[in-house]
Amino acid sequence: MATEAARRSRPSALLALGQVRYQLTLLLRSPLGFFLSIVFPLLLLVCLNVVTPGRPVNGLPYAQWLTPAMCAFCLLNACYVTAITSMVLAREEGTLKRLRGTPLPAWAYLAGRAGSAFVTSVIASSVIIATGVLLFRVHIVWHAVGYFTAAAFLGIACFFLLGAAVTTVVPKSETALPIAFGTMLPLAFISDVFFFVRNPPAWLHDLASAFPVAPIARAMEDSFNPATRSWPMPASGLLAVLGWSAIAIVVIALAFRWEPGPAPAARGLGRSPRSLARWHHGS
Amino acid sequence: MWDKSTGQVPAIVVEGLRKQYGKVRAVDGVSFQVWRGEIYALLGPNGAGKTSTVEILEGHRRRSGGSVRVLGFDPGAGDRHFRERVGIVLQSGGMDAELTVWEMVSLFAGFYARPRSVAQTIEQVGLADKGRVRVRTLSGGQARRLDLALALIGAPEVLFLDEPTTGFDPNARREAWDMIAGLRSSGTTVLLTSHYLDEVQRLADRVGVMSHGHLVEESTPDSLGGRDVSGTVISFRLPARLRGSELPAGPWDQPQDPAGEFSMHTDEPTRVLLALTQWAAAHDVELPGLTVTRPSLEDVYLRITGQTSVGAGDGH
Repeated sequence: MATEAARRSRPSALLALGQVRYQLTLLLRSPLGFFLSIVFPLLLLVCLNVVTPGRPVNGLPYAQWLTPAMCAFCLLNACYVTAITSMVLAREEGTLKRLRGTPLPAWAYLAGRAGSAFVTSVIASSVIIATGVLLFRVHIVWHAVGYFTAAAFLGIACFFLLGAAVTTVVPKSETALPIAFGTMLPLAFISDVFFFVRNPPAWLHDLASAFPVAPIARAMEDSFNPATRSWPMPASGLLAVLGWSAIAIVVIALAFRWEPGPAPAARGLGRSPRSLARWHHGS
Repeated sequence: MWDKSTGQVPAIVVEGLRKQYGKVRAVDGVSFQVWRGEIYALLGPNGAGKTSTVEILEGHRRRSGGSVRVLGFDPGAGDRHFRERVGIVLQSGGMDAELTVWEMVSLFAGFYARPRSVAQTIEQVGLADKGRVRVRTLSGGQARRLDLALALIGAPEVLFLDEPTTGFDPNARREAWDMIAGLRSSGTTVLLTSHYLDEVQRLADRVGVMSHGHLVEESTPDSLGGRDVSGTVISFRLPARLRGSELPAGPWDQPQDPAGEFSMHTDEPTRVLLALTQWAAAHDVELPGLTVTRPSLEDVYLRITGQTSVGAGDGH
């Protein structure tokens, strides 16, 4: 029988690193995750360049604008969409419940997920930028690389947190992808990710600016503009990013679920005979 | 938390446990103890409250009332040190289909301060030749064995097994039983739920029968419902030269036809048998077809849970 001393837990940081490796292994073996994070944005980069050749944006070659925009799209897929689909799947298949029964701390699991989203984002963005440079003569604006990196880092953190928060309202695996894309794509469309919105109506601009996608995407795009000399994200944009991240953290802390099935709130309010019957049966 | 008379220390103590979902009382005032090194089974039909009880003990569900201690911890507190020392076998699922068996077990080994050897654990559950195989290709029985490996990898002091062989074919069940019985020698405390009587009889040191959220009986499998002494049936055929009216320790049920069996239901099988066999020996006869039958576990189980389902309506 083990003594208390011998049962001292392993360092949480090590566990979190192990989780990053585990999540990356899973991602590499899941064609959907790989496709969404790397292949899809790369395809868009190539295709959009082919169908809209020579159309300048903000006085810059189209590819010079599109390449960082596709990097922002990478972040949305690798962090937001993948967080929702993979964590809901893990929850509904009972993986989260199983992990919850082990000494792995909750935060180490989430840190592992976030770390894997970070690594995927870095790899995917690097592939996008390398493709832009090699095929479409995109120039890296070296004096703004720091701005690009900072904006991307904010994006990774914010999109991952939002994705983890959204899992709390996704009832089952089948609805994860529709909810992820259904919320992400409209925002991406009005936030200068797929195409540059010239002179948008004020309300549309304000609407986009109230969400974190537009500030992140625009800051990343501006970081590929040689004319950019200072931090390209307005204070209001930074506030939107940090505000949404804070809301997401609160939602995760209060409502993140490890057990399969509908949210406790829905169960508690609904108390339908069907769900009760299932509980009773399951007991 | 120590029994002076036996010197035993409990690994699990449950007192007045209640779990309510809306108006449904899934667990209603259940109390029991499981000693260290013991295999204790919660037996009962679906909906009896077994899984709710076990999931509260595992820390997966919050209780509505009562007190619960596992190795001195309150499982509801979610203490990491508690989870270092218990192993949980879920009813189903929870495995990453795209990992190999070895990767899955190694991953879980990494969570614990003092894990068992990955190779030995995989071998112990009979998956030695499946180490490099992806989890998604495992058969149902193999997946449950992996499930057991994941629960054992942390060298748990208490192991929770929720219906460990549901869905197994007879061969796989027997293998799983051998594995679980093997844990006894390692001193692991096991709490298992089951609705298979043969499983409980084979594995458990003690059994608690649950019905409608109540623990309605607790005993060893052999003496459940008093079946070790009560309601024993003794039967035999009488050689033609002897008369039934001379039989000792009567009254005996007379056979319908002359070649049929005499029989008796008795709560004192030893005394009756002694008298009967002494009488037969004195007459120098062999009693053909002499059998002593105890009521089956199933008979007793149906009687216990059936009686209670009537009583439960009274809200006891």
